[in-house]
Amino acid sequence: MSAAAPDGQPPLVSVEGLTRSFGGVPAVRAVSFAVGAGEIHALCGHNGAGKSTVVKMLSGQLAPDSGRVVIGGRPAELGSRQAAQRLGVALVDQELSVVPALTVLDNLLLGDVTAPLVSRRRAAAARCRRVLSDVGLDRLRPEQPLAELSIGERQLVEIARALSQNARLVILDEPTATLSDAEAGHVFAAIRRVAARGCAVIYVSHRLAEVLELCDTVTVLRDGRRIATTPASELTVDGLIVQMLGEAPRRLTAGREPDPRLTHALRIEHLRVPGRLADFTLTAPAGRICALAGQLGSGASDVLRALAGLHPQATGRAELRGRPVPLRTPAGAARAGVAIATNDRKSEGLFLGQSVAANLLATRLPALATAGVLRARGEQRAARSLAGLAGVPDRRLSDLVSTLSGGNQQKVFVGRCLGRDDVFALLLDEPTRGVDIGGRAAIHQMLRSAADAGLAVLFASTELEELLELGDVIVTMREGRVIARYEGGADGAALMRDMTHGDRAA
Amino acid sequence: MTAAEGPVPAEPARRIQPDALDIGIAAVVVALVVAGALTDRFFSLANARAILAAAASTGITAIGATLVMIAGSAVSLAVAQTASVVAMVFLATQQLGLAAAILLGLLCGVAITALQGAVVGFWAANPIVTTIAAGFAVGGIATWISGGTTVYPRVAAFDGLNSTPLGLPLAVYVLLALTALAQWVLRRTTVGKRLYLLGENPAAARAAGLPVAWVTVAAWAFFGACIALTGVFLAAFNTSATAGLGGTLSLDAIAAVLAGGTAIGGGHGSALRTLGGAVLISVISDLLLLRGFSTGIQLLAKGLLVLFVVIAVHVRSARGRR
Repeated sequence: MSAAAPDGQPPLVSVEGLTRSFGGVPAVRAVSFAVGAGEIHALCGHNGAGKSTVVKMLSGQLAPDSGRVVIGGRPAELGSRQAAQRLGVALVDQELSVVPALTVLDNLLLGDVTAPLVSRRRAAAARCRRVLSDVGLDRLRPEQPLAELSIGERQLVEIARALSQNARLVILDEPTATLSDAEAGHVFAAIRRVAARGCAVIYVSHRLAEVLELCDTVTVLRDGRRIATTPASELTVDGLIVQMLGEAPRRLTAGREPDPRLTHALRIEHLRVPGRLADFTLTAPAGRICALAGQLGSGASDVLRALAGLHPQATGRAELRGRPVPLRTPAGAARAGVAIATNDRKSEGLFLGQSVAANLLATRLPALATAGVLRARGEQRAARSLAGLAGVPDRRLSDLVSTLSGGNQQKVFVGRCLGRDDVFALLLDEPTRGVDIGGRAAIHQMLRSAADAGLAVLFASTELEELLELGDVIVTMREGRVIARYEGGADGAALMRDMTHGDRAA
Repeated sequence: MTAAEGPVPAEPARRIQPDALDIGIAAVVVALVVAGALTDRFFSLANARAILAAAASTGITAIGATLVMIAGSAVSLAVAQTASVVAMVFLATQQLGLAAAILLGLLCGVAITALQGAVVGFWAANPIVTTIAAGFAVGGIATWISGGTTVYPRVAAFDGLNSTPLGLPLAVYVLLALTALAQWVLRRTTVGKRLYLLGENPAAARAAGLPVAWVTVAAWAFFGACIALTGVFLAAFNTSATAGLGGTLSLDAIAAVLAGGTAIGGGHGSALRTLGGAVLISVISDLLLLRGFSTGIQLLAKGLLVLFVVIAVHVRSARGRR
């Protein structure tokens, strides 16, 4: 494996004092590091450590408040993604941005700012074959539609596209989060080949074993600051976890004993989602909070979505209060007593153009109506009591929900599922994503009181503090499988290890 | 973390000022009043009756279209054909008596349209594509039933529908009653509230476990009943029906809904607005007619009005979301 740039030679890319804050809250504070030609440099950190913000600044999507990026000895003006691309910065994002309906060749040409307006097919096809063979995809034909390819191959095409743009710096943001081992192996080989050609590579991942295997150097961020930059050969997974967590958060509350009067439960047996969730079995008793701990692609979120009927391919059995919960139909799951707050409150949660009151009442209209006709003033009364429950001021009830802050929007989203006598299981996917500290505490309190009121509460999260604070039972997941189950006695480092170790050999 | 997810220090203040749409509509109304005052015979009882009568048959269909558009199903392009089929069924069953003929016509309109709603609701089909296909199919049925000729009733039980109590056609009263009913359904029933939610954000409505498909079917069924009533009145007025009886009803109804300011993307709008839109179009046509402009100019004015309102609605919603 190639080592870092030899001493005396200036690094290909150097990041100098990058700083950026959002609404007065610093996200990245004076971060500096350097990546040499041929070096694979990992960027690690827990959620909110500032990795994504650094990546966005390097790829021209965000302007830094201060600090600069020097590429090849010259300060780089990364005003936009296009500008960054011209300067040789290529980004492979978490989400695939290749277009399945187009051919491999068309995808490679897509978004290439240097491509001529009228492209010459034959020359382009020849170049395409060269680029594909660079990432070990010789078996693909340029005219093959992308839809025929596996997800891993598509990811490789995306990487190939980044490389075909004559990149000097290639940034990969969680490229393997949704890949199988074999597919990830191909991605690693491609990355090594890229580095061997003299590119600088920045690799962002939650999978620590993978990071140590692939990378030359590891920079760890915490709370927006650079904690350390260490050669990978001197690190272990545990050492890396210590750098990422600092003082590991302790368990704050002991796991509660279930209330003996509450006997019903959400029983999940052999839940499967092709390609995402292997075989999931869990009994979530009423009155307790079960936490699913897992990163993107771990399957934690898929458990919740499958239970709520949002995975059309889910199979298995689920039972709530002794009655089966139909999978694959959201309305059926709702009738069986399952309510979900998805991880995307904007596109799959709130009705942004409607009032706060309309949003709070959206799922409980039948309870306010007689034979489909809403009772006079029943709505107002219900909205007011729900506003109290959700901790949103009464006077905001008639305002559009989109005018609320992120935290209050999330409270409305969660509050919508509470105080209903037809809900017996509450599912939440990242319940406090993008929520400020005050809102977080309020939402945690809401979940606890929901459990106390006799609901089975099941949530998925990547935040250790949240998992430890709320989870009476914590189930760690990775790559679609359950890794371990903790009832009290879990600590941050153990959870982190389960979630991130990703030991592919084992 | 992104900029949008960062903490927001203070909640923005309430908006009190009228938006672009309100100002625009007010300006149009003022312009029309001024133009009306300068036009002979515009402000007369007879002319008011003419305006309402002209608005009635399109308006009835437009009220139904409002519900479907609020639920996010954009537009239906099978309306004219459906109205023609209903008119034929209505005329062909006159010998059964007026009530039975109306009932059969309604049944036919509801069945045809609710079926399209089911395709849209249960299989998430694109409503425009679905209704184009349905339009051809229904138009085919109309031609098939009639053998390509004009359908005449054997007896005329429909004379009652052409009566004009207090000097206004019966269709005007039906339009007002339907507007009131639709407005009540939208504001005071669970189905109505769900139409808004579904139109606002279909993915969220689905994730929230709302019975999305059935709500869609209910809206389309109501739409079908409205189309059927228009068909019945058209049949009674013309005393005969051909496959082309519906004429430009599909687009006229859409124009009335849009002129009222109901958002084509769904989630916003009301039956009252549509009534306003239908009357507004009727007033403008009437005004142009009185001043001696050609039919071409009338159509042009209708087009410009719809364009203006659609842009105003878009500007408003774009500002509200950002």
